[in-house]
Amino acid sequence: MIPDEPFIRWDWIVTNLGDIGERTWEHVLMTVIAVGVGFVISFVLSLLIVRWRRLYGPVIGTSGLLYSIPSLGLFALLIPLTGVTLLTAEIALVSYTLLILVRNIVAGFDGVPRDVLEAAEGMGYGPWQLLWRVQLPLALPTIVAGLRIATVTTVGLVAVTALIGQSNLGSLIVQRGIRASFPTAILVGAVGSVLLGLIADLGFVGLQRLLTPWARARGG
Amino acid sequence: MTSSAAVVSLEHVSKRYGASGAPEAVSDLSLTIPAGEICVLVGPSGCGKTTTMKMINRLIEPTSGRITIDGEDVMALPAVELRRRIGYVIQQVGLFPHLTVAQNVAVVPHLLRWPEAQIQERVNELLGLVRLEASYRDRYPAALSGGERQRVGVARALAADPPLMLMDEPFGAVDPILRERLQNELLRLQARVRKTIVFVTHDVDEAIKMADRIAILQRGGILAQYDTPDAILAAPANEFVEHFVGADRGLKRLSLARVRDLTLGEPITARPGEPRRDLRARLEAAEADFGLLLDAEGRPLGWVNRRDLGRDGEVASEDATPGSPTLQPETTLRDALSTLLGSSVQLGVVVDEHDRLLGLVSVDAISDVLRSTPSR
Repeated sequence: MIPDEPFIRWDWIVTNLGDIGERTWEHVLMTVIAVGVGFVISFVLSLLIVRWRRLYGPVIGTSGLLYSIPSLGLFALLIPLTGVTLLTAEIALVSYTLLILVRNIVAGFDGVPRDVLEAAEGMGYGPWQLLWRVQLPLALPTIVAGLRIATVTTVGLVAVTALIGQSNLGSLIVQRGIRASFPTAILVGAVGSVLLGLIADLGFVGLQRLLTPWARARGG
Repeated sequence: MTSSAAVVSLEHVSKRYGASGAPEAVSDLSLTIPAGEICVLVGPSGCGKTTTMKMINRLIEPTSGRITIDGEDVMALPAVELRRRIGYVIQQVGLFPHLTVAQNVAVVPHLLRWPEAQIQERVNELLGLVRLEASYRDRYPAALSGGERQRVGVARALAADPPLMLMDEPFGAVDPILRERLQNELLRLQARVRKTIVFVTHDVDEAIKMADRIAILQRGGILAQYDTPDAILAAPANEFVEHFVGADRGLKRLSLARVRDLTLGEPITARPGEPRRDLRARLEAAEADFGLLLDAEGRPLGWVNRRDLGRDGEVASEDATPGSPTLQPETTLRDALSTLLGSSVQLGVVVDEHDRLLGLVSVDAISDVLRSTPSR
């Protein structure tokens, strides 16, 4: 680090605003892909678990194992197979979402009151109508809670993928900051990543309030 | 809001859970429920009453036997379509927490793809029928009281105007006061809609109150007796039924009949102003010791003793001794008996809504009812 370098160089931020914006957008995209794909996989797995309860142990065990592998280790394991690519990064990111999402989606379905299901069945809901019109809406608060955790976690992990050459807010930290001993870039990358996580979290809270007006009825 | 009611018929229906060696939950059950009647399935836990009810809308499929609704085999339709034609009410109500009251009521019409305008009209009609104000339409179930939820549940079951309703211990989870009110509401509602209702309960008093016909089941789903409440209380088919309906079945039977069902006794009556001698002569001719004094409107004032009529002059209202309890035609015989036994004069005066004399009821007249053959 150059001794007379100031901690934050605002002029750098201003001149590189376009670049920072682009990194942020890439960060968002990688997060959306990871959480989106992770959600689809988790949703299907959860439906299978709800149908065949015996699957719960193996699925949770496997996703728990994946979750416990340090991210750098997982990248190292995958690079021989898929190279230093976006695919490698996304496989790792997706696998970290599975444990959180499957657990919350299954808990959401399990939380649908038994009497509601019985009434629905007795009134003539078909299995798909039951899923879409009753189980899913009622499981939504728990599912969204899972999505919040998974998304915030993923936003942080996306930054780490800069170590395997992915371009996002993490690369500001790694390439422009650490390697060039430039604290401003480190700070911009880190603060940007935290802000993204916060915005995503608030977005989900808003989405949930919008989708589940009934959950507020309890208060009167 | 007129609609047909369905005849439901079970023919040799059996249900066995698990392997063929397992004991039967319902055993060779045959019964026919006439259209427009409330049939209560009652029995101790494990008697198969809920299983029997759920076989009608195929939430449970029978192992053998046949169930028909208006002659049509329930197995002839896809289960989902069958259920949309049958109203269903359960103990915990099972309202959808994520739907408003109006949306909950509209559930089956939606499944049946009614036009939206017709659904809305129907929802308004039903909320009126179960006496919920229009302001309830857009509330969520979480904001309702237990009784209101139960009413919405009944409205929801009636939504598509089904000819048959299944009610599984619908008032089992509410406090006794509310239960009584909901029972009365359902009876009033039934007087208007005249559906065929299959009603499951473990409470024999509820069964007696609600039923046109009671099916008493014993363990293993064996039909012990199927008859009107009065007939079951008058002549239990076996020891199990006798035990199940309770030692006070005579009193329970009295709660089924009302004062208006009795032939009322006719007293010798008099009005103030009649010469004492005339009244005395009439009492002697009728070999009666007492006469009932009425006012100008025909309202009873009290009894006049023949022995007090020796003097000359006219009968006056001061001569009357009150003491007889007053009964209404709607009083149940059980309440009437209790009132009579608690009063010094064991002869009740029955009056109409303007307090005018209708006749007399004695303890003997009430106990005669218990000796009579049951109505069917």
